[in-house]
Amino acid sequence: MQLLLERPSTLQANGLGLPVMTSDTPLPSTVQETTEPADKRDLFEEQALPFIDQLYAAAMRMTRNPSDAQDLVQETFVKAFAAFKQFEQGTNLKAWLYRILTNTFINTYRKKQREPYQGTIDELEDWQLGGAVSTTAMASRSAEAEAIDHLPDSAVKDALQAIPEDFRLAVYFADVEGFSYQEIAEIMKTPIGTVMSRLHRGRRLLRDLLSGYAAERGLGTGQAASQKKSGSTKK
Amino acid sequence: MTDCGCEKAKAELEEYLHNELCREDAADVREHLASCEDCRSEHLVGRTLTEVMQRACKESAPEDLRDMVLLRLRAIQSAH
Repeated sequence: MQLLLERPSTLQANGLGLPVMTSDTPLPSTVQETTEPADKRDLFEEQALPFIDQLYAAAMRMTRNPSDAQDLVQETFVKAFAAFKQFEQGTNLKAWLYRILTNTFINTYRKKQREPYQGTIDELEDWQLGGAVSTTAMASRSAEAEAIDHLPDSAVKDALQAIPEDFRLAVYFADVEGFSYQEIAEIMKTPIGTVMSRLHRGRRLLRDLLSGYAAERGLGTGQAASQKKSGSTKK
Repeated sequence: MTDCGCEKAKAELEEYLHNELCREDAADVREHLASCEDCRSEHLVGRTLTEVMQRACKESAPEDLRDMVLLRLRAIQSAH
C-alpha cells in the first residue's frame, strides 16, 4: 500500500526537503502533529462506538424498520468520523452524535416517508391532529397511570409511531434519552420554546392514545361508578 | 414556605418531570405535590408515561451492525 505524506508542501519549501530555519522558526509542525490517522480512528471508536445501541434504538423510532435503522446508524458513524476533527473534546459527544443522526435522518430518510403535514405541524391546532380519546373514560388518574403501566411495549411503540414526527422526536429525546431542553433545541435546530411545545403536545397525544388503548382492553375503567357523580348513562 | 398552589404546580409539572426547573421552583412543586393528591396523581401519570416509553424503546443493535460500522471506518481510512 502506498502511503501519502500529509504535508508534501513543506518538502518543497526550499528545494532541499527541509524547512528554512531561522532563530525564531518553531519546530517543524510535522513533529508536533501527533494525531496519526490510526490514533484518530482508535479515539473515535473508543468514544463513539459505545453509543451504538442507543443510536440504533433512536434510529428504529425514526425509520420504523430494522433495515433502514441499520443504514441510518452506519451513515451516522461515517459522517461523524469524517467530522470528528470538528468535535471539541470534552463537550457533549452524545448530543453531537444525535445531531448528526437527526440531520441524516431528516435529509435522507424523511424524504421517503414524508408525512402529509410535515413542516407545519407546530402551527396545527390540537383538534386538527385528531385521534385523541378523552381520558374521562378512565376511572381516576391513578387508575389511568396503572392502566398505562400495564400496556404491552408494542402498544407504546404504536402510540409513539402514531404521533407527528417532530413531536415524537422531542418526546423521545427528552423522555427516553434524558436530553435537556437546550440539548434537544440544538439537536432539532429549533428554539427552546418550540421544543417545549412539541414535548407538551406530544406527551398529551401519547397519553390520550395510551389511555384509549387501555380503555379498549378494559384496563383502568372498571368500577368507575363510585367516582362519577352521574351513573345514569352507564346502563 | 407557602404552598405554590395547583395552578403553578400543574403549569410546571412537565418541566419538573424533566428536571428543567431551578432548585427553588422544583422545591415549590415538590412541596405542593406532597400535600395535593390531585396534582400528585397527575404527576404519577406523567412519570408513568416516561417510564413506559423507556421500557418500550430499549433496543440492542444487531450483532453485525457494529462490525459493519468498523469495516466502513477502516475502508474510509485506507482510501486516504
